[in-house]
Amino acid sequence: MKVLKRKPELCIACHACESACSNTWFKEDNADKSCIKIKEEANKNVILSCTQCGECISICQVEAISRDKNGIVRINKNACVGCFMCVGFCPELAMFMHDEYIEPFKCVACGQCAKQCPTNAIYIEQE
Amino acid sequence: MIKLNNRDFEWEEGLTVQGLLDKKNYTYPKLIIKINHVLVLSEEYASTVIRDGDDVKVIHLLAGG
Amino acid sequence: MNIEKLKSAHKLLCEYKYELGKIEKGYTNRTLYINVGDNTISEKPVTQLMKDKFIGGKGFGLYYLWHAVTPKTKWNDPENEIVIGSGPIGGITQYPGAGKSLVCSISPLTGMPIDSNVGGYFGPLLKFSGFDALELQGKADKDVIIFIDGNKGTITIEEAPEEAIDSHVLGEQLTEMYAENEEDKRNISVVSAGSAANHAYMGLLNFTFYDVRRKQIRLKQAGRGGIGTVFRDKHIKALVIRFAGVKGNLNNADDQGKINRTGIKLHKEIHDFDAQQCRMRQVGTANIIEVMDQYDLLPTHNYKFGAHPDTHKISSKVFTGMITQNTPDGCWYGCSLSCAKAVDHFELRTGPYKGQKVIVDGPEYENAAGLGSNCGIFDPHDVLELNFYCDTYAIDTISYGTMTAFVMECYENGIINKEITGGLELNFGNADASLEMLHQMARGEGFGKLAGLGVRNLKRIFAEQYGGDPVFLNDIGMEQKGLEFSEYMPKESLAQQGGYGLTNKGPQHDEAWLIFMDMVNNQIPTFEDKAEALHYFPMFRTWFGLNGLCKLPWNDIIPASNKHSNEPAKIPEHVQNYVDIFNGVTGKNIDKEQLIVQSERVYNFQRIFNIRMGYGKRIHDAIPYRAMGPVTVEEYLSRADRYDGQLKELVGFNPEGKTTEEKMAALRSYREDQYQKLTDAVYKRRGWTMDGVPTIEHLQAIGMDLPEVIEVVKNHL
Repeated sequence: MKVLKRKPELCIACHACESACSNTWFKEDNADKSCIKIKEEANKNVILSCTQCGECISICQVEAISRDKNGIVRINKNACVGCFMCVGFCPELAMFMHDEYIEPFKCVACGQCAKQCPTNAIYIEQE
Repeated sequence: MIKLNNRDFEWEEGLTVQGLLDKKNYTYPKLIIKINHVLVLSEEYASTVIRDGDDVKVIHLLAGG
Repeated sequence: MNIEKLKSAHKLLCEYKYELGKIEKGYTNRTLYINVGDNTISEKPVTQLMKDKFIGGKGFGLYYLWHAVTPKTKWNDPENEIVIGSGPIGGITQYPGAGKSLVCSISPLTGMPIDSNVGGYFGPLLKFSGFDALELQGKADKDVIIFIDGNKGTITIEEAPEEAIDSHVLGEQLTEMYAENEEDKRNISVVSAGSAANHAYMGLLNFTFYDVRRKQIRLKQAGRGGIGTVFRDKHIKALVIRFAGVKGNLNNADDQGKINRTGIKLHKEIHDFDAQQCRMRQVGTANIIEVMDQYDLLPTHNYKFGAHPDTHKISSKVFTGMITQNTPDGCWYGCSLSCAKAVDHFELRTGPYKGQKVIVDGPEYENAAGLGSNCGIFDPHDVLELNFYCDTYAIDTISYGTMTAFVMECYENGIINKEITGGLELNFGNADASLEMLHQMARGEGFGKLAGLGVRNLKRIFAEQYGGDPVFLNDIGMEQKGLEFSEYMPKESLAQQGGYGLTNKGPQHDEAWLIFMDMVNNQIPTFEDKAEALHYFPMFRTWFGLNGLCKLPWNDIIPASNKHSNEPAKIPEHVQNYVDIFNGVTGKNIDKEQLIVQSERVYNFQRIFNIRMGYGKRIHDAIPYRAMGPVTVEEYLSRADRYDGQLKELVGFNPEGKTTEEKMAALRSYREDQYQKLTDAVYKRRGWTMDGVPTIEHLQAIGMDLPEVIEVVKNHL
């Protein structure tokens, strides 16, 4: 299956990935609506993104989260009741919410962000 | 003699916070412990020695079902 | 089961159509009134006064109940109501514990208003179907089912002769009957009682939710005070609601983002800390069984003692091994604290369902302590079997446990014997006898039927008919105001004696649980300190019931900030969360002080409601001596060092050379005096007279000086 991989030591915090993601999925350039987040800490950059580990699948009370045939963890927005438990319980802190939406959102390894990364700090890998 | 939650409690040489908890059978997991108003973190219970005359607070955070 | 056959036996008595509602900032601004006596259904507007003074939930319940009954109304009069409501915050899915229903009625046990809170989906689905509360009044001739379809806007009352009475069967039947397909089952919630509620005064209501992983219904209980008995007396078999389309924003909150962020913060805390703190997700409230034993607080043998050598046999570790954990289960969407545990495939060894494998919802702490240790029963299978039958027969496990413990002590003391019990050998530890008594209660037969009347009635009957010593019976019968005590030992904590005794509905710990603050932490040493705690905590905790909230996420998870707090017992960060979500839903701008005033209004209203019904005075706040100290020599001797030490240090009584009886008398007079002094201090802090009546000045100060309230109070000042 496809997974977005990370090498945070290569990240220069240009935030191009966030723009690419939010443009792809929300048609606007807004880092708050990105499924990948770059956190700039004192002496390093941290890349928050989904590893497709599937912890959230068992957390979800309404079975709105499942793994598709390609192994990608996806949210069924129709079934989701907007509790955001998955956001609080994600071990990677990679499930996100935005005030404008009542469902969370996450990376589905589409790879659009990796295409924009100038240092290959993020890349798609087949597992 | 020390004060434990404002009550007298027998002190002995080498008494640690963990030793005190064992003596009192304070098994409850949600505790706030302070010695002379200074917070003791749970990872320091075994290594923190209580001195004679200390004011020790072992606050149990339980307020029922 | 043949659902078509059951359904074809229904006879439609009444159909009502309504406009689907709209929720604005947590309120539908409308309530539903159903009279099963004359089959009328109507809608009522929610007034601004109701929202300002009573908020919702239990506030609305008490308000409607007040206007439905007279001071002469008895629990089984047709005008008595059962009012069910959520609250303005109820139904949000982001903050854990936001799916509670509050149920109010005149109680068969206490003769005055009772309130009980319960999980399951009914309350939120009622609101999404268009109603902030539901009043049930009247008495049907034959068993009826009320069905509310919140998508179609229809309500029917149907005669329903053939369905089961017991909840675990009835809940499945009705979920199957009213769901349009398997996927729709999650949109159904059933409220029902059970066969023992036909006979006993301690009947409860079960509220279902559909467990999508187990593909079976789960039961949550509005346990206290006999509301299930009222329900069956009205010949209501069940209330069923259907609403498809639950989303996270149906409350049309003023600031949804604020609610989402507050909820996620708590989800994260639970994720990070629960496994080290309470293990609610793993084992639920049963986590404290052995903790209570270690601190001498676990009631054993009718509250004689606070610990027992066999407690390890029913510890949380044992139950952890029996609970089948598909995933931590919440009783409403978004509850990441998820205390709702279940044992699957439990094979019953007694009763009408013997041999069947069932789901047992539990065990909760109260069940393990009440059905188990308090009765000297330490086999976890027996606890689960009693738990299951109490639930499906609709019997409150707390009242049942405390009543059975009382009956067992009476049996061991020879006040009652085998002849009177019809052969039941009700010694402590006899699980078979307890189970048989429960089955008798469900059949309405024998000693079980009598036992169902509760401790208050049994004390009178044992004295009048069987020659029991009324003084001793009053000392050991752990009830007050007619309600059985819940399962904590209050003997060594004066504040908790007040936490049980100085309550509105009776000795239930949902108003205040101060044992650790008082007895262990010694944080509230003076009468004034205790009185302050017995003001703050009951008011704070009342607020959950006004809003459709559960108490557990307040302090069964502790945030990192708390160790630096000046008032750690209040969990200040979580108090602020509640202020934030209330403001986030309603658009109001309250602070933590105004939150307390909201509760104070309803709390005083309930006190005055009690007074109006002929109770609610100082005399009704007295508690049995078993709650305060050692009644028997056996109890004194079991903790002799403790009591001797207290006599010396606190009472100024030298125990040396004194008989146990002399020491017990000295201790008793001291402790009873302490309780009176505490009562004085608490009444003063609450703005009440020394007879426990709220003063007019106080009612004016808090804004609860409604004319009908003043009218009652002024006759008692």
